[in-house]
Amino acid sequence: MEAAKMASPKSAPKDAQVMAQILKDMGITEYEPRVINQMLEFAYRYVTTILEDAKIYSSHAKKSSVDADDVRLAIQCRTDQSFTSPPPRDFLLDIARQKNQTPLPLIKPYSGPRLPPDRYCLTAPNYRLKSLQKKVSSTAGRITVPRLSVGAVSSRPSTPTLGTPSAQTVSVSAKVGAPVSLAGQRFTVQIPSSQPAGKSATPTTPTVQNVLINPSLIGPKNILITTNMVPPGAADPSPLKRKHEDDDDYDAL
Amino acid sequence: ARSAHTAPSPHTAPAPLPQSASAASQSEAARACGGSGSSTLVAVLQFLRRSNLRESEEILRREARLLGDDLGAAALSPASAGLLGGSGSDADSGEALLGRGTGAAAVAVAGNVATVATSSPGVAAVAAVPPGKVGGAVVVEDQPDVSAVLSAYNQQGDPTLYEEYYSGLKHFIECSLDCHRAELSQLFYPLFVHMYLELVYNQHESEAKSFFERFHGDQECYYQDDLRVLSSLTKKEHMKGNETMLDFRTSKFVLRISRDSYQLLKRHLQEKQNNQIWNIVQEHLYIDIFDGMPRSKQQIDAMVGSLAGEAKREANKAKVFFGLLKEPEFDVPLDDEDEEGENEEGKPKKKKPKKDNVGSKSKKQDPNAPPQNRIPLPELKDSDKLDKVMNMKEAARRVRLGPECLPSICFYTFLNAYQGLTAVDITDDSSMIVGGFADSTVRVWSVTPKKLRSVKTAADLSLIDKESDDVLERIMDEKTASELKILYGHSGPVYGTSFSPDRNYLLSCSEDGTVRLWSLQTFTCLVGYKGHNYPVWDTQFSPYGYYFVSGGHDRVARLWATDHYQPLRIFAGHLADVTCTRFHPNSNYIATGSADRTIRLWDVLNGNCVRIFTGHKGPIHSLAFSPNGRFLATGATDGRVLLWDIGHGLMVGELKGHTDTVYALRFSRDGEILASGSMDNTVRLWDAVKAFEDLETDDFTTATGHINLPENSQDLLLGTYMTKSTPVVHLHFTRRNLLLAAGAYSSQ
Repeated sequence: MEAAKMASPKSAPKDAQVMAQILKDMGITEYEPRVINQMLEFAYRYVTTILEDAKIYSSHAKKSSVDADDVRLAIQCRTDQSFTSPPPRDFLLDIARQKNQTPLPLIKPYSGPRLPPDRYCLTAPNYRLKSLQKKVSSTAGRITVPRLSVGAVSSRPSTPTLGTPSAQTVSVSAKVGAPVSLAGQRFTVQIPSSQPAGKSATPTTPTVQNVLINPSLIGPKNILITTNMVPPGAADPSPLKRKHEDDDDYDAL
Repeated sequence: ARSAHTAPSPHTAPAPLPQSASAASQSEAARACGGSGSSTLVAVLQFLRRSNLRESEEILRREARLLGDDLGAAALSPASAGLLGGSGSDADSGEALLGRGTGAAAVAVAGNVATVATSSPGVAAVAAVPPGKVGGAVVVEDQPDVSAVLSAYNQQGDPTLYEEYYSGLKHFIECSLDCHRAELSQLFYPLFVHMYLELVYNQHESEAKSFFERFHGDQECYYQDDLRVLSSLTKKEHMKGNETMLDFRTSKFVLRISRDSYQLLKRHLQEKQNNQIWNIVQEHLYIDIFDGMPRSKQQIDAMVGSLAGEAKREANKAKVFFGLLKEPEFDVPLDDEDEEGENEEGKPKKKKPKKDNVGSKSKKQDPNAPPQNRIPLPELKDSDKLDKVMNMKEAARRVRLGPECLPSICFYTFLNAYQGLTAVDITDDSSMIVGGFADSTVRVWSVTPKKLRSVKTAADLSLIDKESDDVLERIMDEKTASELKILYGHSGPVYGTSFSPDRNYLLSCSEDGTVRLWSLQTFTCLVGYKGHNYPVWDTQFSPYGYYFVSGGHDRVARLWATDHYQPLRIFAGHLADVTCTRFHPNSNYIATGSADRTIRLWDVLNGNCVRIFTGHKGPIHSLAFSPNGRFLATGATDGRVLLWDIGHGLMVGELKGHTDTVYALRFSRDGEILASGSMDNTVRLWDAVKAFEDLETDDFTTATGHINLPENSQDLLLGTYMTKSTPVVHLHFTRRNLLLAAGAYSSQ
């Protein structure tokens, strides 16, 4: 710790000198210079809080001016609030006696890591994953539904309006943006745009690219991304989609 | 419910404290009806007076005068009530003190007080307390519990005469015989403090101030810190917030005086004009009388210094099982791959299983060792057995230390810590070192070339082959391996850290009031144990794992188990913060050092305090048990290292040399050397074998509780090693008896 520098009388204001003297009287000889400022600030804050409280009590009692009783009351109330002190000795002796009467619990052998019940541990995940909005299923097998479902990723998206077979460029662009729940997860999904001629039997192959997902963020309930290309006119995506929806339910908010 | 001080007198069961004046009077009447005994008598008198039934009061008082020895004509002042409330479990001492075999100790006290001059009116208002075991609610705004404690400070005579009383006593003591003077001088400090506090409590501020001015210079130098705190207590309101002062006032200050000196004192004080002091002595002091030669000043100085005086001899009489638990026996296969060093001479390799020598030495139970199942201990897992095997192999290569063969010291300096290093621990096999910092982080380093690896994530774990032989290696993630891992979680400076013996867990305790359990396999926080609501100053795992102890600002130490979110035991008794907590090697006892300058030894089984060691003059900061479990070494801010025999409860050595707080103490693996590290930037090595040999503990010693300490610090000092302006915060002997030390470099 830096040695105390007694401020020279010319530079330090009187308050600071008084505070330095108080520290000296209490036997504190080494302290950083900022301690004086902190102590002064504390003293100012404490006194103003007490006096404000005292004013309130005084006006409540319909007195004309603040007197010592008001201040005393204010101090007492604040003490109970901010400066709690440890419990008194006899209380401690009492609870100690109670606690010490119960025998030590037996230890179950071979019970793995011995931790308290889960609710008292910090091992639970401290996040919850939002579900994807349910996608409207399309009747036509033409439209390729994104078979990527990272259950979590929720895009509150602009759900691709896949219902209509009419040509629309579907862009699930929201997914590119910051995912709602999982930070650090990034992936870009490009939903293939269906051909304007909806009836065409050859929708373009979906270009599913760049699915980068941080695997550590995937919990057991989420489906791993399948980056398979959906073959055109493919087999019914419905079973997969159904699976997606099932999982969606788990993550339902 | 405050059935406060347990059975403060041999009377009826304590009545519950009333919470208001009206309730008080009711309960008084109730109490008066029930049971006999003089406290109830006084209670009735009080009640009558308050109810303005003067005549009844007079009649009753006249009859009461027939009881008790010298019940004076003066009014049984309210002060007597508070006196009966005196302090807790030590009221039986009243009998010992006064030498009266009757159970009417309280009566005698009351009687004596009756001769006290009538209290001044100011006091009467304050002291309008209902009598009883502990004073009830004062009619002022105090909270009941605090007022109970403080109300025992009722007026004992005229405040202006306090200086007279004290100087009279001082004169008497200074004129007494040399042999008695040292012992009687012990009275000065407690009397000074109690009289001062009484004046303050009764709001005689100017008298208090002048009393302080006049006499504070006479006190011993080692009480200066306390006196400084006292000097800031000038008003009654100040006393309320200071728990330590309150505890001081409710517990009896223990003095050990020889019978001759005591007779002298008693004779002098019982003369008429000195009765005030006598009253105060009886109320606040416990005089433990022993038969024998009066002690010299040197002997006394070695033992005094704590906030509660010395320890009563009965406090150190309980049987303590200081022996070690038996190690389990199992075969140790001699693994030749590790024995390269021994085969230098080309001796033929012999594959012989070696029996574990540690356990097989004595088949008989050591009488001083606790039974194996005295406290439940976790079973020995396979990994623990492997660890023990490693331990024994290392032990075979251990260097035997002694005065001729001092250990080498390897110092780990924490650079750029900016005075933030607050706690250090090293694993038993010296593979990891942890630092707790003032910025609330806990940092773990690997000391060996092997990096710290954490377990892989769940996704990766599902990909590995679970049947492979090296699955334990495969589950570790090499990609994030590093020499340093930082653990975030606390919200205040980390004041204590402790590795578990199996190196799976790490504990850290902090100013935020919690103790956190971290996993060293995933490097995440597993549990936060909340119980102390105030800074926790120290924590330690038990030598067998599973249990851990923590001590903090709330003046208690707590025993926890990792699988219980609440403590299993609470060790309450210290008067000030518990600053240091250590397990005994057999895990059945816990030593706690405190800011009240005492060390207490607690029994884990039932939470009782089995030993109290006084003698340090400053808060204790380090404790170390000897490997054989018989001795305890303690270090404090006074720079002395004291050695204690646990079995007999005596101080057996005093090692002087350090000039600043001793923060680290450690015995070598076989107990031959004691290493101490201090704020004065040195590590000192002491000869423990010599310090503990030839302990003459004859009847006299055990009866009186003190021995003559030889001044042999210089002989025992084997070496002093200076660091480069780095205070030593932690010491650790490796399994081969290399001494590791740790500290943070401080640039001035």
